[in-house]
Amino acid sequence: MGSAGTSRIRTARRALLNQRNLSKLFLGAILFVIIVVPIVRMILYVDSATVRSVFRSDSFYSSLWNSLSSTTVATVISIVLGYALAWAINKTNIKCKYLFTILITLPMLIPSISHGMGLIILFGNNGVLTRLFHSSASIYGFWGVVLGSVLYSFPVAFIMIADILKYEDQTPYEAADVLGIPKRRQFTSITLPYIRKPMISVLFAIFTMIVTDYGVTLSIGGKFKTLPVLLYEDAVGQLNYSTGSVIGIVLLLPALIAFLFDLFNKDRGNSAFVTKEYKKHSARNDAIGYAVVGVTSVLVLAILSSFIMQAFAKSYPTNMSLTFEHFANTFSKNGGKYLLNSVVIAAATAVIGVAIGCSTAYLTARMKSRFSRFLHLTAIVSLAVPGLVLGLAYVIVFKKSLVYGTIAILIMVNTVHFFASPYLMIYNAFGKMNENLEPVGEILGISRLRIIRDVILPQSKYTLLEMFSYFFVNSMMTISAVSFLATPSNKPLSLLINQFEAYNMMECAAVVALLILVMNLLMKGIIFIIKMIGASYADKKTV
Amino acid sequence: MKLEVRNLSKTFDTKEAVKDVSFAVEEGEFLSILGPSGCGKTTLLRMLIGLIRPTAGSVWKDGVDITDAAPSKRNMGFVFQNYALFENMTVLKNVEYALRIRKDDRQTARDTALALIEKMGLTEYQNAKPYSLSGGQQQRVAIARTLALMPDTILFDEPMSALDVATRLALRKELKQIQKEFHTTMIYITHDQEEAFAMSDKILVMDTAVAVQLDTPENIIRHPANDYVRSFVVDNLKIKIDSLSKYIGVANG
Repeated sequence: MGSAGTSRIRTARRALLNQRNLSKLFLGAILFVIIVVPIVRMILYVDSATVRSVFRSDSFYSSLWNSLSSTTVATVISIVLGYALAWAINKTNIKCKYLFTILITLPMLIPSISHGMGLIILFGNNGVLTRLFHSSASIYGFWGVVLGSVLYSFPVAFIMIADILKYEDQTPYEAADVLGIPKRRQFTSITLPYIRKPMISVLFAIFTMIVTDYGVTLSIGGKFKTLPVLLYEDAVGQLNYSTGSVIGIVLLLPALIAFLFDLFNKDRGNSAFVTKEYKKHSARNDAIGYAVVGVTSVLVLAILSSFIMQAFAKSYPTNMSLTFEHFANTFSKNGGKYLLNSVVIAAATAVIGVAIGCSTAYLTARMKSRFSRFLHLTAIVSLAVPGLVLGLAYVIVFKKSLVYGTIAILIMVNTVHFFASPYLMIYNAFGKMNENLEPVGEILGISRLRIIRDVILPQSKYTLLEMFSYFFVNSMMTISAVSFLATPSNKPLSLLINQFEAYNMMECAAVVALLILVMNLLMKGIIFIIKMIGASYADKKTV
Repeated sequence: MKLEVRNLSKTFDTKEAVKDVSFAVEEGEFLSILGPSGCGKTTLLRMLIGLIRPTAGSVWKDGVDITDAAPSKRNMGFVFQNYALFENMTVLKNVEYALRIRKDDRQTARDTALALIEKMGLTEYQNAKPYSLSGGQQQRVAIARTLALMPDTILFDEPMSALDVATRLALRKELKQIQKEFHTTMIYITHDQEEAFAMSDKILVMDTAVAVQLDTPENIIRHPANDYVRSFVVDNLKIKIDSLSKYIGVANG
């Protein structure tokens, strides 16, 4: 052992470029290259002539107006509905909450484009309900887009708002009741101040989600075109990347604003300390709660059952005899191959995403240093990039590379696209764990890797499962980033819907939507069963 | 075994957390480090175990400079304030984990762990997970886990601050028993004057970042080194005793 003097010098040298900082810089650099660089490359792709021609074209302004108007209306409806549902689940005493939660979040498991399709099956020119009521109102265009967008986004609004309401402390309300403060006043002076900031986050998130989606509009918009559809037609249809990039930059703005808003408003409700949860009984509230979740569930089931009938009926709705010919037809059009593609892509994205997400979160949450913040920001910056824009950026950067046309590039783009949310899940899980676990290991002579393997990861196993499921489900259903990078050989199943719709093969499109739903339900089911087994096993061991 | 601290200092950025602290602990001694929160006690303790590298000064054990030795090479144990148990493992696994990895075969590790668990009165909980135990029981598990590697010195970082009074009093006794039975040196951090006086052979009183007085409890009461020690230690103790004796007096009268 050296003397005190030389050891001080060793310590100083160690400080800046030690192993943990190096690994942070390394991971940060990788994330930077695969997330930020393509976006910058896309922005540089734009030349001023294209900008001028895009901003002078009428189609741009009509699409911009269509985007803004339909998204605004859909966002408002989605958030009101999401709030009503979150209230019913969290603040009433209705029964079967778990079942209702599953039902109303089912739309999250299928691609956005199939929501437009479901509406057409029900309300289109040849739709079931159109025929039933002899309605002449058209679902195509503005209202179809709004309705489809609501279907696609309200479950997300519900989950986000439920998360806010769940962590709301009930004691202020009890105090207000004791003081005799009227309900309306309680809402304006207790509820509103509490939910204001997180609700603005939800608003931004839902707006961004809807305004950057092309699937709903493509299927049900008809002549009603929005900016993402314009981008899709330019870039995917006509391979006109520079026009697409200009629109891409416009679409980047709302997501960027949302990202920056969240960054500067860290005081989200879920960090609050809940001293008391909801216990009050009110028959009237319960009735309203049942009504809200009931109507929503019926709507969701109507859409989903329309797929089932379309897929299984010989010629829905005129000939309802059961047939598997649409399935046979779908599989004869390479459906099986694309299903396999999708499962491989989704599983690989999940494995790689969980691995990178965990390593990054471990470095940012449990090995804090001056580089942690940089790495953390790089890890969550993908929140600010809509899938459509990411896909365009990727095709510009990788079109001429070896990975283009392979499954690998789809895995890569999905991992980047869906990285932020699962990363934040495990970041929070790691952050909440006792900060002295590694020091205990150090003192007992157990290496950091052993502690990670034997203590840290086992304690976060349910979060790992959730991450896996998130990557898998979203990779199965996404049609945004992948649509730019898919070729006939690496195409995922979800994009077959676009193709079948283009050829007006609605039955096959319904079969594909169903297949995706079934795969995702299977994944959710497996995760659920693993958790149940884990929980009962833990119970047995404790007693 | 003799532990010696020479001119130990630690500066975080610009803040001096510990400034030029020196003291020595004899084998088998119970030393409390007493000071208000934020005075640098925990930083000092973490430098002794090697979790924090000092800016200046050195730590010596039996004449060997261990300032830069890895925490696990010092033959010292450390008990954390918030227990830091492995929540995914049973009590038994918590205690035998380090033994199984570091030296013993499975059976020896298990036997050692079971013996320690019995000694800590936790036998009926050996297959329980830590979260189902009370705070006092969890702290006992943490102590058993530390004892498993048979350290000659155990450092305690305010181990009782989250516990209720009755549990504290019981644990105090147990700690003294463990000290005798295993013949370990103990260095114990607390901000509670009464606790320090009830348990210690010697007390090191700390003011912000500096050590003010190292002496036996008796000498500190009789000859406080300065006004700070008089007010922080002696006066505070007097207030407690006065308020208690008032009630006892009423009850007797």
